[in-house]
Amino acid sequence: MDVLMPQLGETVSEGTIAIWHKQVGDAVEKGDLLIDVETDKVATEIEAPVGGVLARIDVPQGETVDVGTVLAVIAVEGEVVEEATVAGEVVEAKAATPVAPPSGLPTKNASEKLSPAVRRLLKQHNLQISQISGTGRDGRVTRQNVLDFIAQGVASPKSEIAGERIPFDRIRRVTAAHMVKSKATSPHVLQTIDVDFHRVDKSRLARKDQWKADTGYSLSYLPFVARAVCKALVEFPRINGSVDGDALVLHPQINLAIAIDLNFEGLVAAVTRNAGGLSVSQLAQSFNDLVTRAKTKKLTPDDLQGGTYTLSNPGPFGTLFTAPIINQPQVGILSLDAVKKRPHVVETAAHDAIAIRPIGILAHSFDHRAIDGAYSAAYLQRLQSIIQETDWHSEF
Amino acid sequence: MAQLSYREAVSAAIAQEMRRDESVVFLGEDIAAPGGVFKTTEGLLAEFGPLRVRDTPISEQAILGAAAGAAMTGLRPIAEIMFSDFFAVCWDIVVNQIAKTRFMSDGQCSFPLVIRSANGGGARFGAQHSQSVENWAMAVPGLKVVAPSNAADLKGLLAASIRDPDPVLFFEQKSLYGMKSDVPEGEHVVPLGQAAVVREGTDVTIVALAAMVPRALKAAETLQSEHNISAEVVDVRCLVPLDTTTIFSSVSKTGRLVTVEENPRLCGWGAEVSSLVSEELFWDLDSPIVRVTTPHIPLPSADTLEDAVMPSPARIVENVLKLAD
Amino acid sequence: MAAAANAGAPEEETRLELYRLMQACRVMEQRAYDLFMQNLVKGTSHLALGQEAVAAGFGAAMRDDDYTFCTYRGHNHTLVRGVSMTGILGELMGRECGLLSGKGGSMHLMDVDKGAMGSYAIIGAHMPIAAGAAWSAQYRGSGQVAVCFFGDGTTNIGAFHESINFAAIWNLPVVYVCENNLYMEYTPISAVTAVENPAADRASAYGLEPVVIDGNDADVVFAVAQAALAKARSGDGPSLIEVLTYRHGGHSRADPGKYRPDEEVAAWKERDPLKIYRARMLEAGIDETAIVGIEEEQAARVDRAEATARDSGPPPLEIADTDVWADGSSRWRN
Repeated sequence: MDVLMPQLGETVSEGTIAIWHKQVGDAVEKGDLLIDVETDKVATEIEAPVGGVLARIDVPQGETVDVGTVLAVIAVEGEVVEEATVAGEVVEAKAATPVAPPSGLPTKNASEKLSPAVRRLLKQHNLQISQISGTGRDGRVTRQNVLDFIAQGVASPKSEIAGERIPFDRIRRVTAAHMVKSKATSPHVLQTIDVDFHRVDKSRLARKDQWKADTGYSLSYLPFVARAVCKALVEFPRINGSVDGDALVLHPQINLAIAIDLNFEGLVAAVTRNAGGLSVSQLAQSFNDLVTRAKTKKLTPDDLQGGTYTLSNPGPFGTLFTAPIINQPQVGILSLDAVKKRPHVVETAAHDAIAIRPIGILAHSFDHRAIDGAYSAAYLQRLQSIIQETDWHSEF
Repeated sequence: MAQLSYREAVSAAIAQEMRRDESVVFLGEDIAAPGGVFKTTEGLLAEFGPLRVRDTPISEQAILGAAAGAAMTGLRPIAEIMFSDFFAVCWDIVVNQIAKTRFMSDGQCSFPLVIRSANGGGARFGAQHSQSVENWAMAVPGLKVVAPSNAADLKGLLAASIRDPDPVLFFEQKSLYGMKSDVPEGEHVVPLGQAAVVREGTDVTIVALAAMVPRALKAAETLQSEHNISAEVVDVRCLVPLDTTTIFSSVSKTGRLVTVEENPRLCGWGAEVSSLVSEELFWDLDSPIVRVTTPHIPLPSADTLEDAVMPSPARIVENVLKLAD
Repeated sequence: MAAAANAGAPEEETRLELYRLMQACRVMEQRAYDLFMQNLVKGTSHLALGQEAVAAGFGAAMRDDDYTFCTYRGHNHTLVRGVSMTGILGELMGRECGLLSGKGGSMHLMDVDKGAMGSYAIIGAHMPIAAGAAWSAQYRGSGQVAVCFFGDGTTNIGAFHESINFAAIWNLPVVYVCENNLYMEYTPISAVTAVENPAADRASAYGLEPVVIDGNDADVVFAVAQAALAKARSGDGPSLIEVLTYRHGGHSRADPGKYRPDEEVAAWKERDPLKIYRARMLEAGIDETAIVGIEEEQAARVDRAEATARDSGPPPLEIADTDVWADGSSRWRN
């Protein structure tokens, strides 16, 4: 029985064999751990689909192959396993003179049509296909597209800069490519608003100790902001959308992603699905679960797919605000930095007074193709009111 | 330079070589007194006499057998097979005797002969007088195969073929016989095994042979003027020996290959070129390789039918556009 | 059948030479048979045991620079041109010392230096080639003659007719020799030919004299060969000679020849050319010791040839792709 590289997430097309846990000739039982596999952002495991003897390994450790590739063969009792046939897809030249190509074979879409010339250039210049826009038929990336990209100097040639060299690992490379592409795709505008968190604090501080005792982790501002965002997005649905060609597609539900730093070794945005239906405590639990799993590399590919809006919370470091980069294909991202006690003017009918209030700045980067400043500003204003005026006790 | 037609270039080349080498002799049906059914060999009998320029009976096996026997015993014969379709009548002499004997004899003898023949369609002669069969010859080890696309190349390549110490099958495309163009006067020899880039370009390489070369050039003009596609056209000239260097360097530059072949679809010469490029230049290809050929049918005789099935400039353009991005 | 009685008797030296040639052919072909049975000769082999007088008669009459063209049953025709027996046996055995270094095999023996211009495996194909060699000789005025040997079966193939017509109209110095051994492979020639004498009865179709002779009588063959060669050499054109003979073995080594009646085989074996000639030489007063000397000499020769061939190794693998072209290579591309 063949062991195949599985489809590890909706848009994942390839994976790398990180570690082989078995050798040719080993007996395996169904469910035994065979391989550690890495994709763009996640490490996952492949188990033996059947019991038998590992008869053949076709892809060794360290190699990256497409989804569906035969990685190994397990000989089930009595089965004879042949030598592997020559690897490598044969691209048949199907063009007969006036006749259409034969049917029965799945046609590839543009993102799968990487010609040999393109593949070679990508490899030679250490590029990712995701960095390059295609102007070929159906959006295919052509050889000329890659050559033009290289000519622009965007690719990093062998540098003459002195100093210790830290090569990009897979996550770094993917992140770098995504960030470049995001900035190249969306015209980013930064808008900020300052928010008074004292009402949130009433609730938060009251529950803080019990929460910590019950769950083992602290109740932060993030789930409160997340709840407020979910409410606000209902009223400003365009921000929960994606640009598709000439249209803005409004997502039917809010899948809220949070940015998680992996001990300075990388960044992931993990998704809580249908966040609009969750309470503050449910959001907090979801976030904690995601963070924990992120830090122990236990996220699944589906944890990383399908987000519609992202929250970034570098708060613990005390920063004022951040201009975050949009997580494509979303159209907005909100950063909550530190919430700090500040002197704050409180207006009453009678007079203006100064109070000490916990103030945090919400910084919103939005895609100006999809929405304009007024819409975003209105959204931020609504967010501010929600955070400042909600009776948070009832949101748990 | 002189303006010569493709057919006139034949006798020009033969005369050039017969003047310089007495061992060159010429035999075939209606080639001497009548000057050739396509009027390709007029004047040769008058200049060189009946011992060197000889009419034969309709006996293709005898014609080629005699050429073989003479070649292995000191002469340099040129034999004509009137229509290349007739090679089928005497194919044993070509492929079993001429092509193989040097090898089987461990190099004891050689066959410095040329077999010229009128090849291909476009003349409305019907299926048995119109096929392009240079691909049959390409498939046989021991034969050199030449197919010029213009008068100057014909003169030069025929001269080189006559001087070549090995058997050469020299295919003259009958549809080109009337084409006039500049031909160098005086001694003109074009070495075998050299393709020619007849039009430079950057977006796609069109490799063509013989009568398909002018059509490829017309297609290239249309591609440039109407579609802003810059096509490079390579005239293969010799199938064996094959100038892979020139073809490869063109495809490496453009990343795209289209062949234009007069042969029927299966196992036309372009299939071999396509295979070589896909094997050795795989990483340079930015699109699949496309072959433009006559469909896999005998050629029909009605003019409209024949024109519709042979590769036309329009069909070449259409096929290049299929590859365009 | 033309009688031999009045053939001008050759001189003793010539007779001994004829006998030597026939004996050499006989022992070589028999040894080839033995080696085949020991699986040292691979593939197939077509032996001409019983037909020695034809090759010997012409071999003795030809000029050194005349051309021979023969068929796949051509070991004898090649040997009689002075070609090395070691080379022939070595070639049959696929050894490096083979005449063709193992590249041609039994059916393609050739030694251009000796005028042996090839043995040809396609029926009739060598007939126009022989005409071409004759044309070349005529053109160059060298006086060389081409002799072309073929079997009765060949007379029904197209190339036979094309070649003889061609040679006749151009008056070429070629001698076409049809060895009629009564069987076209496994079929009696009479069953598949519209006329009784497959070659001679076609001669007049090409303006040539019909000639049928006893192919087992070396003196007759020799005399007729001399006449035909002289005719061609003097510019009087081609001849077609039908020679009646018989093969002792089957068509090829794979064939035991069981389709021939036993009495027929026995009768022809009585008329074994070597037997006949030996008796005739003794009758003519030639010393038997000279005869025995030839027999012993050829016996020793074939033993030496076999031993040398056995000692020779297989051809080096590198020669497999050499000599397709005149420059020694097989390159078809740059």
